[in-house]
Amino acid sequence: MNEVELKSRNKQQNTEKWVAIILKIGVWTSGLLMISGLVIAAILPSTITQFSENPSLGNLFASLFSNNINSVALMFTGLIVLMFTPILRVLMACIGFSIERDWRFMIVSLIVLLMLIGEIIYSIFI
Amino acid sequence: MDQITFLLILAGGFVAGAFGALLGLGGGILLIPFLTLVVGVPMHQAIATSIIAVIATSSAGAAINLERHIVNIRLGMLLEVATVLGAILGGITANNLSSGALTKLFSILLFVVALIMLFKIRFKNNQNKVYDEGSLPGTYFDSSSGKFIHYTVKKIPATFFVSLVAGNVSGLLGVGGGIFKVPAMHILSAIPMKAATATSNFMIGVTAAASAFIYFAHGHMNPFIASTAALGVLAGSVVGIKISKKIHSNLLTWIFIIVLLGVSIQLYFR
Repeated sequence: MNEVELKSRNKQQNTEKWVAIILKIGVWTSGLLMISGLVIAAILPSTITQFSENPSLGNLFASLFSNNINSVALMFTGLIVLMFTPILRVLMACIGFSIERDWRFMIVSLIVLLMLIGEIIYSIFI
Repeated sequence: MDQITFLLILAGGFVAGAFGALLGLGGGILLIPFLTLVVGVPMHQAIATSIIAVIATSSAGAAINLERHIVNIRLGMLLEVATVLGAILGGITANNLSSGALTKLFSILLFVVALIMLFKIRFKNNQNKVYDEGSLPGTYFDSSSGKFIHYTVKKIPATFFVSLVAGNVSGLLGVGGGIFKVPAMHILSAIPMKAATATSNFMIGVTAAASAFIYFAHGHMNPFIASTAALGVLAGSVVGIKISKKIHSNLLTWIFIIVLLGVSIQLYFR
């Protein structure tokens, strides 16, 4: 392996490393939010607040940072963090491919990212 | 949700995750019939729950496989164009179908999965392939043989098409779709089994995320059921992966095929 190939391989492994880090952070954060929501709901049933079936992000944030603990909002936030984790990993791959100057795959990742953003926009307006 | 339902879903998720990992499937194939037939969860909600569990297990598994450099990240991203498109269309379709229609479609899926598993037993260990003359080269260290395996990817358009179908099934019925993609990558694109499985698993999280928001917007995400099942499946799949290194039995697959066929018939005539 010559020097140029070695540099390119190191950059590739950096992309893999960062994508893996994003996935781990997402799974751990959402897992902890869901567990804490379930545990708090079990110990303090008064924290179970009736929520709309599909709360908006604004509603969720308002519930999370209000003075009353809301166990349902914690679970919903865990679910949303989990749903955004793969999308962030596509973004990270996009950035990684740009750093590697692999424009072909940067565009491929960008197409996937745009489709996912399109899905979210569609979901907001249904 | 009362405590018994909570424990039931947690245990069911754990078993679905463990057996899914043992048999090389995602947890969804088992989780959805369990939630609908045993717990009585409506079909759309069961699918949404499975999608969450699929994102969790795929993301956790992909993080480990990426560190071991088994994932072909470029091939994964390319095929995701197909799976994501398929999944968005599948998600939109599912939310316009009745619960009864989805249940019938799911029972047909179980039947097809049983057939694929039967086919897999018969054509197992197709190892004498030549892994060259394609594009998107990959290299990984195979710990069982102690060698570096080099390969390239052939017939990408064919695998791309299968990925589109797999993505569509994922969005429509809440499973990962690996059961279609892995054989396609291995047989059509001549990718070694280990890399095909890792790359498919890597893609599944993004594919599931492509329909998750649609189910969420339609109000099918029950926070209690989804959180409990996701945690159960995640824990079960970790245990399943650990045990799978020790168990190599066709008997388990045969039992599973019979169970799948039984559940398929029960769902169809429900």
